Amino acid sequence: MYALNYVKVKSLAEAAKMLASNPEAKLMAGGMTLVPTLKQRLAQPSHLVDIGALPELRGITAKAGTLTIGAATKHHDVATSAVAKKAIPSLAYLAGLIGDPQVRNLGTIGGSVANNDPAADYPAAVLGLGATVVTNKREIAADDYFQGMFTTALEEGEIITRIVFPVPRRAAYAKFAHPASGYAMAGVFVAQTSDGTRVAVTGAGPGVFRWKAAETALGKNPKAAAIEGVALDAGEMNEDIHATREYRANLVRVMAKRAIAQLR
Amino acid sequence: MSPFQYTDFPELANVDTHTAHHGNRLEDLRLVTGTGKYTADWNLPGQLYACFVRSDRAHAEIVSVDVSGARQHPGVARVYTGEDALRAGYDKFFVIVNWPGRGGEHMKKPARPSLAVGKVRHVGDAVAMVIADSPVAAQDAAELVTVEYRDLPAVVTVEEAMAEGAPQLHDDAPGNLSFDFEGGSEDAVKAALANAAHVTRARLEITRVAPSPLELRASNVEYDAQADVYHVYTCIQGINMLRKQLSFATDVPEEKIIVHAQDVGGSFGQRSAAYPEHCMQMLAARELGKPVKWVSTRAEGFMTDTHGRANTVTGELALDRDGKFLGLRIDWLADMGAYLSATGSASHTRNPNACMTGVYRIPALYGRFRLIFTNTVPVAAYRGAGRPDIAYVIERLVSQAAAELKLDPAELRRRNFLPPEAFPYKTPTGSTYENADMPAILEKALGLADWKGFPKRRAQSEKQGKLRGIGIATVIENTGAGLFPKDQVAIECGADGTVTAYTVAHSSGQGHETTFAMVIAGALGIPIEKVRVREGIHDKGLIGNHTGGSRSLVGAGSVCKLAAQKLIEQGRSRAAEELDVEPSQVEYSHGAFHTRGSKKHVRLADLAKNGPFATMTEASVGSTFPNGCHIAEVEIDPETGTTRIAAYNTVDDAGNVINHSVVEGQVHGAVMQGAGQIFCEKVVYDQDTGQLMTGSFMDYCMPRAGMLPDIHIVDHPLPSGNNALGAKGVGEAGCTASLPALANAMMDALRPLGIQHLDMPFTPATVWGAIRAARKN
Repeated sequence: MYALNYVKVKSLAEAAKMLASNPEAKLMAGGMTLVPTLKQRLAQPSHLVDIGALPELRGITAKAGTLTIGAATKHHDVATSAVAKKAIPSLAYLAGLIGDPQVRNLGTIGGSVANNDPAADYPAAVLGLGATVVTNKREIAADDYFQGMFTTALEEGEIITRIVFPVPRRAAYAKFAHPASGYAMAGVFVAQTSDGTRVAVTGAGPGVFRWKAAETALGKNPKAAAIEGVALDAGEMNEDIHATREYRANLVRVMAKRAIAQLR
Repeated sequence: MSPFQYTDFPELANVDTHTAHHGNRLEDLRLVTGTGKYTADWNLPGQLYACFVRSDRAHAEIVSVDVSGARQHPGVARVYTGEDALRAGYDKFFVIVNWPGRGGEHMKKPARPSLAVGKVRHVGDAVAMVIADSPVAAQDAAELVTVEYRDLPAVVTVEEAMAEGAPQLHDDAPGNLSFDFEGGSEDAVKAALANAAHVTRARLEITRVAPSPLELRASNVEYDAQADVYHVYTCIQGINMLRKQLSFATDVPEEKIIVHAQDVGGSFGQRSAAYPEHCMQMLAARELGKPVKWVSTRAEGFMTDTHGRANTVTGELALDRDGKFLGLRIDWLADMGAYLSATGSASHTRNPNACMTGVYRIPALYGRFRLIFTNTVPVAAYRGAGRPDIAYVIERLVSQAAAELKLDPAELRRRNFLPPEAFPYKTPTGSTYENADMPAILEKALGLADWKGFPKRRAQSEKQGKLRGIGIATVIENTGAGLFPKDQVAIECGADGTVTAYTVAHSSGQGHETTFAMVIAGALGIPIEKVRVREGIHDKGLIGNHTGGSRSLVGAGSVCKLAAQKLIEQGRSRAAEELDVEPSQVEYSHGAFHTRGSKKHVRLADLAKNGPFATMTEASVGSTFPNGCHIAEVEIDPETGTTRIAAYNTVDDAGNVINHSVVEGQVHGAVMQGAGQIFCEKVVYDQDTGQLMTGSFMDYCMPRAGMLPDIHIVDHPLPSGNNALGAKGVGEAGCTASLPALANAMMDALRPLGIQHLDMPFTPATVWGAIRAARKN
């Protein structure tokens, strides 16, 4: 790790100010991706602006058909929250699949969504449920927010404050964990919402994406069998030393079917 | 309250070998409460810190190394390059193999400077060493070293390396061939193959793995100028073997190198070698007059700690009409990596040759073993050191032959086992197996695994859309005879009655402090709480072998018993003087000497009134031959290619068992290590660039505890006459048997789909790909 200045800010406003006045500063919530990067000297920020403990960024509340989760809420808190489990059980289940106990007790939903790792779990839920990403400046619809591998609609200095999830009729998440890293090799979030069925896929492609052909098919027939022959272009999937495109495309279909079978 | 129940003296009166013991290990409280002392915990006054500049390419000429920027960085004491290593004469490393190979040719042992000179040969090869007054300063300065390279084409597989016109790693190893070794009779096997009714053939990859012990490699070296002695604090398998190697590499006499170690967090063969870092730290510590500390990062570990296995083996098994084995031919290509390690070459020639007949009567055997250089991390011994590899080849061939001949794999084994009356059995490749009862072991394992009930379980799996398979492995292995001719143990009793034993064999998780203490407590008839086992103590000047090759209990452990007995005998004459009787009238029990019919007694502790009452003893033990049968059952989800290990059963003959819990721990760990290799672990290099693709745990898949169900472990002890305990050893047996048992189970599950061959690791992606290809056909 290179030498840097660590600042634990007392408010969101102070964090925004720090970012504005230090162009090389980096925001940190749980640090689960950032700290390993720093340790390997792959990044050299001037400041670490720690917002992980800000009370205004924490908490899980349900009202009027939505579930709102503060950006600095830990995965463990979501996984074990009675409120989250009641409103969107598949979201609590997903949070419980992230990393290991240490990661779940430090990592945050805002950090995960801001980082947008192409194999992270949360982006599948945010996109699958059609959630709204709320920042200190505006509200961004999930469909506009995710823009490919490690890329989002966030602008310089913009800080996620909370994620607002519409409560679906039914939803489910099925994940095939990468044998080495535990990240999703394919994670599929299926949600039946008032606007129709949404299917979001993480891990298999260069970024989280909606499998629209499957959504259309499920709109007509909400059974797993409906997506058996639905088009899915293996050419759009990742290929690396661990698995072929074809294998990942297969996993997407299998995980989607398993999610559909578990809708609740 | 101690978990040990050894305070009841009468029960210990004639304890020879202890029965099952389920207490906590004596060392565990220290280890699980963070009070162990590992290498990185050693800090010496005034120490400096080393950071190595490592090659980021696989094969290249070094055009220039510019250290001027690094040298001027604040806090930097000195920057070393390959020229310094040459100046010191540090250009060679010890290699065990000193015997001739095929046609009397000797092994090619190219030079290896402790820092690269002229060329780098693998990603991670050290080019320079920066010494500074803080780890951060050393790391910062290392980034200022600029190396200009001229890239050379790289080879990362043995096939490529052996091809005509392949890039050459070392000028004095043409064809990238280090050693061509053979065992058995080529002509006899040729005839057997020609006359066979059936020949089963397979070409098998035994993948390259990264041992990855939990404790990162580290060392701290201090030079005592007054005494002209080096103190090397490091993680090891035994102080003597490292000292011998460091002396060889640096020309510093052995007696001037003192190796220190306490707790070691895993070894697996990876701690058996002297490394370039040790040598360069010795040089810097002497020249700078201050201790030099280095702690590896995990990333460095992946690209510099020795790797394991990495063999490509072709086997041909000849059978007659009745399924009797006639001959076995092995063509073994061992990837040595860029340089020779101390142990890799012997591990992949002598060890597999010693057990080439497996547990079978095979009249004709021939093995050819070629050791090849590639642009990869050097390969060394890895838990089993070639024995799991040869067992894997034999046992896969046997199960494949059974499938080809439509025979029950258990029945084919029965027909070919060495019968108990054949022992001692001299194998065609020169080993003498002491004893084994394979027929009984197999039947016990078949019963444990409910072999007969398998078709029913398979049908149940099929109903759920799953593929089920069962696999047997019946194996034997030669334990390590050791590098030193004998094992010595010093033992002493203090005035408080505490008995302390000193050994060279070093625990890195094996539980010596408990097992050896049980041996001594049993022999002396005293509570185990009164016994301490100390390792890594140089001052005792003991000769002895490092921990490796499943030999510690057989060697050091059995000598602990002899040492305790000798302590009693020496005490008897001294006690006789104090009791004023003839030694023959003195009896010993439970820590005290007494005479019959008298209440007078002299305790061991009494003999230590005027200083420790001490003795030392030794024994030479050769190889033993642990053997056993493992049966694995797997269930595959064909939709994702994921495998669940449904059941795992073991029947091992480790000779007499001292501590069943420790044996279980060894079997659990080794089977898990085998499962890791079979299902997920694999070091991958990029074919074109030679870059290491699995450089972190994000890409290198370690096995998880959840991979294994409950293992059913049954001992089948047939005592060995080799040593005072009748022990055979068990550290590696679980690897040797689990690789073939698990792979055979996988093949049994996949064969009905028409899949005739698949190599490890059986990852979900690989298995799914094979199923898909088979269904397309």
